[in-house]
Amino acid sequence: MALQILNAGEGDAEKVTEDLRGRIEDAIEGAEVRVTANGPGHFEIRVVSNSFEGLSRVKQQQRVYGAITELMAGPNAPVHAIDKLECLLP
Amino acid sequence: MSLDDGARSRLDTLIGTHEVTLFMKGTRQQPQCGFSNTVVQILDTLIPDYQTVDVLADSDLRENIKLYSAWPTIPQLYVKGEFIGGCDIIQELFQSGELATTFGIQLPEPGDVSIHISDAAADQLRQVLEQQGGPERELQMSIDARFQANMFLGPAGGAEIVIESNGVALRMDLISASRADGLSIDVVDTPQGPGFKIDNPRAPRLRPLSVGELKQLLDAGEAFELMDVRTVAERETAAIDGSTLMDDEQAARLEALPKDTKLVFHCHHGGRSQQAAEHFAALGFTNVFNVVGGIDAWSNEIDRNVPNY
Repeated sequence: MALQILNAGEGDAEKVTEDLRGRIEDAIEGAEVRVTANGPGHFEIRVVSNSFEGLSRVKQQQRVYGAITELMAGPNAPVHAIDKLECLLP
Repeated sequence: MSLDDGARSRLDTLIGTHEVTLFMKGTRQQPQCGFSNTVVQILDTLIPDYQTVDVLADSDLRENIKLYSAWPTIPQLYVKGEFIGGCDIIQELFQSGELATTFGIQLPEPGDVSIHISDAAADQLRQVLEQQGGPERELQMSIDARFQANMFLGPAGGAEIVIESNGVALRMDLISASRADGLSIDVVDTPQGPGFKIDNPRAPRLRPLSVGELKQLLDAGEAFELMDVRTVAERETAAIDGSTLMDDEQAARLEALPKDTKLVFHCHHGGRSQQAAEHFAALGFTNVFNVVGGIDAWSNEIDRNVPNY
């Protein structure tokens, strides 16, 4: 676990933040996405989208996680954890 | 990166074979992570049995389940093939009572539950409370999913209901209380001295069934499951008409049946079928029977055409 955190160094945080935001925006059309880096490998995400309407909280979060799983998979994943994920309606 | 069809269908099968599947780190007996442990504790209070899959034992599976569920963290809970969520969501659903409802547990209102504490037990409990009780040490009882009851002193949690009998107040969380109506507490002498005896009429009961009674059931044409838990070779030697050989597939089918389904188990003499019957009683089945004397008694008393062996 310590190795993973070292790999996701400070310098990458901005790049990873942008990558997360881009992937979520691509997957959920018209979504307003805010990503905050909380430290190496740790991020907070807030997504506002009309498309969440009528979905359970799990289904809403699955839409976001589904878009970014690739960044969280494997032993050298740039994203170690999403500390907080908020899915909101406008 | 996406999930290939083979991996997807293996996960479909894994999740499809049990009503409840928990993907976790470690095992139910030895969770290897705090989040997995939290979910195991919650499930243990709600249901007697469920499938756990240890993702630490299989690194491919560990990545695949994340893609399959579109969920990046472990643990992950599936109920009846549907993804429920991870640790946070499970805790929330548990606290709100929704998870209990998912598992068919009806949470009682105060007044729905009555228990009976005998005079002798009430005297003993009052003594215990006088000596050891206090504001942070109130009398409580929990009853787990296998109907094991436990009495202890501890701080009131706030969400429990208080049940009174014979002047003694007993606190119980709502899930335990859903299993407690009609329960009685008495004092009995044991080799270690006097002890409390807790009798719960709602606990699943396993009853013996004579071969004569089995014959009557079969003749009456009543719907029930007659399961043969012997080996294939034994079954080829002798079998009772109307019975079904137990295997993994049959076990999964029985587990999915309503809990009041009548289940009758038999083997050669009644030993192995007793174990099978106990297993299903522990799963919460309330109408479970073991055929006393097994197929040997059936041959001797009911049908001489079925050979002894």
